[in-house]
Amino acid sequence: MPDWITRFPKSLSINIKDPIDKAIDHMVVNWSPFFDVLKTGLRAFLNLIGFLVNLVPWWLLIIAVFALTLRMTRKRHKAVLYSLMLLFIGAIGLWDLMYQTLTIVIASVFISLLIGFPTGILISYGRRADAIVRPILDTMQTMPSFVYLIPAVMLLGLGNVPAVIATTIYAIPPIVRMTSLGIRQVDREVVEAATAFGSTRFQALVKVQIPQALPTIMSGVNQTIMMAIAMVVTCSMIGASGLGSEVVTGINRLESGRGVAAGAAIVILAIIIDRLTQSIFKKDGEAS
Amino acid sequence: MKKRFILYVVLLAMALSVFGGCSSGSEETKLQVTFGEAGWDSMKFHNAVAMYISEVAYDIEVKEVSGTTAVTYGALLSGDIQVFMEIWTENLATYDDDIATGKIRELSINYGDNKQGLYVPRYVIEGDEKRGIEAAAPELKTVEDLKNYSDVFTDPEDTSKGRIYGAISGWEADKVLRSKYTYYGLDESYNYMDPGSDAALSAAISAAYERGEPIVAYYWEPAWLTGKYDLVLLEDAPYDESLYRDGKCAYPSVSVTVCVNSDFYETAPELCEFLSNYKTSSALTSEALSHMQDTGATSEEMVIWFLTTYDELLDQWLPEDKAGLVRESLAS
Repeated sequence: MPDWITRFPKSLSINIKDPIDKAIDHMVVNWSPFFDVLKTGLRAFLNLIGFLVNLVPWWLLIIAVFALTLRMTRKRHKAVLYSLMLLFIGAIGLWDLMYQTLTIVIASVFISLLIGFPTGILISYGRRADAIVRPILDTMQTMPSFVYLIPAVMLLGLGNVPAVIATTIYAIPPIVRMTSLGIRQVDREVVEAATAFGSTRFQALVKVQIPQALPTIMSGVNQTIMMAIAMVVTCSMIGASGLGSEVVTGINRLESGRGVAAGAAIVILAIIIDRLTQSIFKKDGEAS
Repeated sequence: MKKRFILYVVLLAMALSVFGGCSSGSEETKLQVTFGEAGWDSMKFHNAVAMYISEVAYDIEVKEVSGTTAVTYGALLSGDIQVFMEIWTENLATYDDDIATGKIRELSINYGDNKQGLYVPRYVIEGDEKRGIEAAAPELKTVEDLKNYSDVFTDPEDTSKGRIYGAISGWEADKVLRSKYTYYGLDESYNYMDPGSDAALSAAISAAYERGEPIVAYYWEPAWLTGKYDLVLLEDAPYDESLYRDGKCAYPSVSVTVCVNSDFYETAPELCEFLSNYKTSSALTSEALSHMQDTGATSEEMVIWFLTTYDELLDQWLPEDKAGLVRESLAS
């Protein structure tokens, strides 16, 4: 039996590793002005978010969560539970780290929404745009994050800036998908009615389609936030500060307690944000 | 789960093969040897060299099992893994006990002239005319001198201070480096950056080097990075065992040894004789690793390159007839 039947023939092999390495090396050396601008911009943005987050003292945040939960869910026991959970994060000494994590999460979510929302609207219109963007989104969600983390470090340095980029890559797909889905699900007749009454395409979009699609869009926002929180630990592998680095240190030093404490704080953060955003969106959904 | 399943299958296969080796006295069954691979480059390289020689000269069936240091070392103790080409003795708390109780046997010191500590690229101190880089810190020699240059190694996330790229948390070296950082008062003018992983640390250093930017970072030799780039180790007070943990002196050279499981030592005396002679150096290892990084050679191409270039090693390691076998195979 010829060899090429049982084994993949060597003559068919192509080398994609070297060109990719070369391209990244080239970018590291020659594109640094561009990445410097990106870095400086992102860093300023991160500092701003960090500044705003740190304006909120610990007691105010707990009170705010209490009040918000009470207003949204009308359940006193939930409000008490969430406040106690937050208090717990502070009690185990992770309050400041939680703020650092929040800063990265908020910045990433903000950028994701800024890019993802318009993209979602765009691809809801055209089949071709959809055909192009969909595989890209699939790639972003399935590509193992370490694969793009290391090039991100080479181009942007270690720390919070590449962490925001990596988190954005991971967290952007849900908002794009859900926006496009939501808009497409709006009844064609409703849109036709709006057009018949003389609204332009833009007016129909802003005044009819988006409000109608809001519940779906908002669940996209919620998922985007959750994805961003899920990236916290991974990003600490490239030097992002916050709860994630505490987990990584705990694992590296075989200090299980440290890892579990920080892990629990991440879970609490995720639960509170998830429940609060969901209840807000439900409200919005009912109102529209 | 899948990994564990594979591990079990591998272990089972190994156990069966050991049984097979014992019961059948026939010459047809090849001896099977498993090498441990704990996840860093130099170890992979030495494994490749030793495995190649075992296969060609001693007609042994070789296998490599990878895992974390703790897992693979545990397997060496229990005998599932038979050979470890690199044990960084200082980094394993139980090493001396395990030698003393006879679970494993130290055959050779693979190399002992390794280094670790804070490195800066040479152009930071001396400049580089070819690349048009001016010396940013011409008087920088020791770790203590860093104090005067915090504005050279600016932390991009906190421009009022410098940034030191530290060791990976959880390594013994990280604890020592953190003490050093406060001992020399560097904490006043520098931030200590936890790089999170060794891949991220190497990426940060190599990106800075390619761009010609100043950087001060923890690293170690031998590694492909220190072989590929011209980095200078900052001087420190001479090593003293009593001062070391507090970060008041340089890192010691750690003996990196070749070890085998004790039971295995009895079953394969010939191979163990070769391993007892297996000695390289930091410089050799570094050179090999950076050659691999530069050329993208597969590990077999790498071994062939290495053993052809340093042909004299074969005479030091092997009896004449075995060396001849290896040379034959290299030439073909």
